[in-house]
Amino acid sequence: MSTLEVKDLHVSVTDDETDESQEILKGVNLKMSTGEIHAIMGPNGTGKSTLSQAIMGNSTYKITKGDILLDGKSILEMPVDERARAGLFLAMQYPAEIAGVTNVEFMRAAINARRKSDDQIPVMQFMKKLDEKQKILDMTDEMSERYLNEGFSGGEKKRNEILQLLMIEPKFAILDEIDSGLDIDALKVVSRGVNSMRGDNFGSLIITHYQRLLNYIVPDQVHVMMDGRIVKSGGPDLAKKLEDEGYAGLRDDLNLDVKLTDEI
Amino acid sequence: MRPSLKDDFMDATVAFSKNHNEPLWFQKMREEALINSEELSLPVYEKINYRSWRLDHPKNPFAEVNTDQKFDQPETNNLLIQDGDQTLVSKLDPKLAEQGVIFTDIWTAMQKCPKLVQKYLLTKTMKPAENRLVSLNLALMNGGSFLYVPKNVQIKDSIQAVYLQDNDQKKDFFHHVLVVADEGSEVTYLENFLSRGNTEENIANVVVEVVAEDNTHVHFSALDQFGENVSTYLNRHGYVGNNSELDWAIGFMNDAKVVGDFGTDLRGEGSHTEAKVVAITTGEQVQGIDTKVTNYGQHSIGHIMQHGVILQSSTLTFNGVGHIVKGARGSDAQQESRVLMLSRTARGDADPILLIDENDVTAGHAASVGRVNEDQMYYLMSRGIDEKTAQRLVIRGFLSSVIREIPEEEVRDRLTEMIERKLLNGQQD
Repeated sequence: MSTLEVKDLHVSVTDDETDESQEILKGVNLKMSTGEIHAIMGPNGTGKSTLSQAIMGNSTYKITKGDILLDGKSILEMPVDERARAGLFLAMQYPAEIAGVTNVEFMRAAINARRKSDDQIPVMQFMKKLDEKQKILDMTDEMSERYLNEGFSGGEKKRNEILQLLMIEPKFAILDEIDSGLDIDALKVVSRGVNSMRGDNFGSLIITHYQRLLNYIVPDQVHVMMDGRIVKSGGPDLAKKLEDEGYAGLRDDLNLDVKLTDEI
Repeated sequence: MRPSLKDDFMDATVAFSKNHNEPLWFQKMREEALINSEELSLPVYEKINYRSWRLDHPKNPFAEVNTDQKFDQPETNNLLIQDGDQTLVSKLDPKLAEQGVIFTDIWTAMQKCPKLVQKYLLTKTMKPAENRLVSLNLALMNGGSFLYVPKNVQIKDSIQAVYLQDNDQKKDFFHHVLVVADEGSEVTYLENFLSRGNTEENIANVVVEVVAEDNTHVHFSALDQFGENVSTYLNRHGYVGNNSELDWAIGFMNDAKVVGDFGTDLRGEGSHTEAKVVAITTGEQVQGIDTKVTNYGQHSIGHIMQHGVILQSSTLTFNGVGHIVKGARGSDAQQESRVLMLSRTARGDADPILLIDENDVTAGHAASVGRVNEDQMYYLMSRGIDEKTAQRLVIRGFLSSVIREIPEEEVRDRLTEMIERKLLNGQQD
């Protein structure tokens, strides 16, 4: 069993133009183990994506206080690629497009990066696995032969993120708004992909606005973030309650003095 | 007073010419060019300074070739491999030979079809007195080839050439390539300049002429691999007739100091060129590339696309020159030059120049000098790919907009492989 732990995490970003630093995360605590699925919900602009980027190691996000531990060891000093090889995966909201590099090539490079240089994955074995995973996601060979995310629709990009997840098989996957821009059919397909990973050796942190995704990927725990902190945790029922009452309702229940970004 | 080029080389030039049974008209051309070279000036290119390379100071142009060289032969039916004036391999599909295709060293061509050579050599694409380096190329020419595709002959398979350049001996490399596609013909030609050895420092002076007569289509690809001890002048010029298209795909994979002068004259109505260049510079290397297209013909189309990557402490300059002359109505001149810098000590320039002397035209340019896309790097690394591998993938993506336009898969693959090797080399600390 592996664990991922976020301890009193404070994260700031600096505005390139004004050079002013703004604190986004103001002390996040979270602990999860493989075998568990956690969901983080919260209104816009509350720091959900910042948390996912900080865990992955995006250098735009500066950690000013606190720690992130994988299996009890701090990963703050590890560069992005090392964190990935240690078992972390981030399905991105806006994956980059890279022309000239095919999906297949890219996924092989990613898998081989985890193997010794004299023990690279045999082509047949790779293709067989790819075929298997594509089927789960209703994807075709044609998509894998295309250049990485280039000209992909929003839905195709999300699917492609999940395909990479299934191919790489990390310990912990953070899914950053994987449901945004998906119609109900695509949502089911993507959920099927994630659910196929469920098991003792896999944990996932699902970031979403909406409860809808959680009908398909049922979480073990739900956390609500507001203003850079986790303000409430609970079981799947918490998500349903939010759907009914909205974030403002929960805020008022908790007597929080927080202005929601989209509040009029 | 310093002895002149004429004093130094006239006797040797005449002797070399006689020794190779050159026709008298050609020997005279050489002599005249050698004399003229004294008066002519070096070509000048914006932001490319190569004067200190002493390209106009040859030392030993007529040293005997040491042919004891091993090399990998591309698998193809139509192949010429040359080391200076020595032809090591010369193959041409008999069916093509029957149709009148000529693909041979320049001396055999001067024997077999002197009229054709005389008609096209330094007449259509440029003149012998173009500049000092072109005149020296003619005067001291010690290697060369001739490809002729007769009227209405369309060749499906590619015609390939490998030109070896030796740096295990002191010998200047003066090479001339003449490609002629006669009316209504189509051909795909690929050349590979390849240096061997690195114990001596040499000059290389290459002039490549491509004549695309009316109603032709010429695909020209080049993989240039001059070695680190070579100071190189690489001149490629094309003439394009009515309703013809000449497409260039040039992989500048040299380790040498190189100044590249690529020009296309769109002389015919409805003539068209797509000039694509990819370049990588590493180490302390300096490469400058001046790519020019001149629209003379009405409704002619000239497009330039150059992408380059600069590693370590090297320097790369791209000039793109689009010139539309008065009267070339309905013409189009577009260009894009992009340079990616991978280190703080790298130096790069992308310099667009548009010269438009006609109103009824379309023209545009884009140029940029930038760094590796951080979003792409982050994405690749977030999948566990290490920084250097990620960098190579991003660069490959950056160069791909040029590479994927190359029609032959084999050339694309070879170029991709060369890029990978050159990048690996350039990533060493």
